[in-house]
Amino acid sequence: MAAAVTTSDILTPLMTRIAAGERDALRQLYEATSAKLFGVCLRILSDREESEDVLQDVYVTIWRRADRFDSGRASVMTWVSTIARNRAIDRLRARGPMAYAEPVDELEIADGSDSAETLLSAADDRNRLSHCLGELDDRTEKVIRTAFFEGITYEALARRMDAPLGTVKSWIRRGLAKLKGCLQS
Amino acid sequence: MSEAPDLSENEALAAEHALGVLNARERADAEARMARDPVFAADVEAWRERLAPMLGEIDPVPAPGGLWSRIERLLPANDNGELLGRVRFWRNSAMGGFGLAAAGIAAALILVAQPAQVVTKVQTIQPTGSLLNASLVSTQGSKTQPLFIAAYDPDRKAIIITSLLPAGSNPQKVQELWLIAGKEHPKPLGFLEPGKSKVIPLRTDLAGQVAEGATLAVSIEAPGGSTDPNGPQGPVVGAGSLSKL
Repeated sequence: MAAAVTTSDILTPLMTRIAAGERDALRQLYEATSAKLFGVCLRILSDREESEDVLQDVYVTIWRRADRFDSGRASVMTWVSTIARNRAIDRLRARGPMAYAEPVDELEIADGSDSAETLLSAADDRNRLSHCLGELDDRTEKVIRTAFFEGITYEALARRMDAPLGTVKSWIRRGLAKLKGCLQS
Repeated sequence: MSEAPDLSENEALAAEHALGVLNARERADAEARMARDPVFAADVEAWRERLAPMLGEIDPVPAPGGLWSRIERLLPANDNGELLGRVRFWRNSAMGGFGLAAAGIAAALILVAQPAQVVTKVQTIQPTGSLLNASLVSTQGSKTQPLFIAAYDPDRKAIIITSLLPAGSNPQKVQELWLIAGKEHPKPLGFLEPGKSKVIPLRTDLAGQVAEGATLAVSIEAPGGSTDPNGPQGPVVGAGSLSKL
């Protein structure tokens, strides 16, 4: 999604320096992004201690993989947030097959007015995705959002929604197909 | 928007992996598949990008004080700068040797093929595990012409490889790197870019197979790479075995 890339991505030069082995550049990236990534980890793990461990691992991963960052494909914030989300989900899976977090809170729909998002340069993308999610029926939107924000498995979702596994799976697959169509249009 | 066509089975799996609904086993399978199937990996990446804007809805929470110093202590002593520095050193010495041995033979190829210089900070290097090196020479005609220069760093479980082919050559095809260890089928390690250096971290199971005497080979494949689970489909253009310098 090329629209995730903006010329104002002030973090991009840091990635080149990190790839060249500059610790100070990693520290600057940490200062600019750690609160966001800690929020991502906490959202999925609902546990501060585990989130700290994961966050630590995330920055070591960024250090090792900075050479793979491609500014033509994603913004730095998207790239590092995706690593954080993946690592948090890995940790969640490691808790065991039936592990699933109780809902942290009711899923709030963002009102789009928060100012803390200036770092996420992809505001247009966010609005477009929000719009397309809103076009889905309420149940499908809710199940996709729950899956994304909590990183839980189909099995846990089915249990949470009190619906058969195959049904939840088909809600999500159909929903994702519609989402793709809407984002392309 | 009710008439969206279904996703193909492959793309649906990629989307599910990006969304994060797969269980531990399926997730591990998907990760392994990403490593060997670039088309699938690209689908997963595209879905991650599609969904990523939702991350904007998550509120930041200040990370605990002191976490940065914990991270700093964990950074590997042999960091990226050192790794690339080592490769550059090795590459330069190998090219120097080649120049002496084969001056006048195909020197033009090397001249146009000077890889992009990697600029790194000069750092004090603490030598750790010993590197394994391989010069991948042409498998056609003269056996003396190195086309790729590779090193395996056991500390980072990564192969660093430089393609000496002219940048931009043969853009319709891809160069796929293979590991051939013992009597095993060749294992795909990833794709190379003409004229560029690349660091390729290995999965633990593959890193375990890298040893002195194992062979690295490069084949020329259609975009997406070989689809044959047993090895290359296209011609192998360069091969060489790993040894300690």
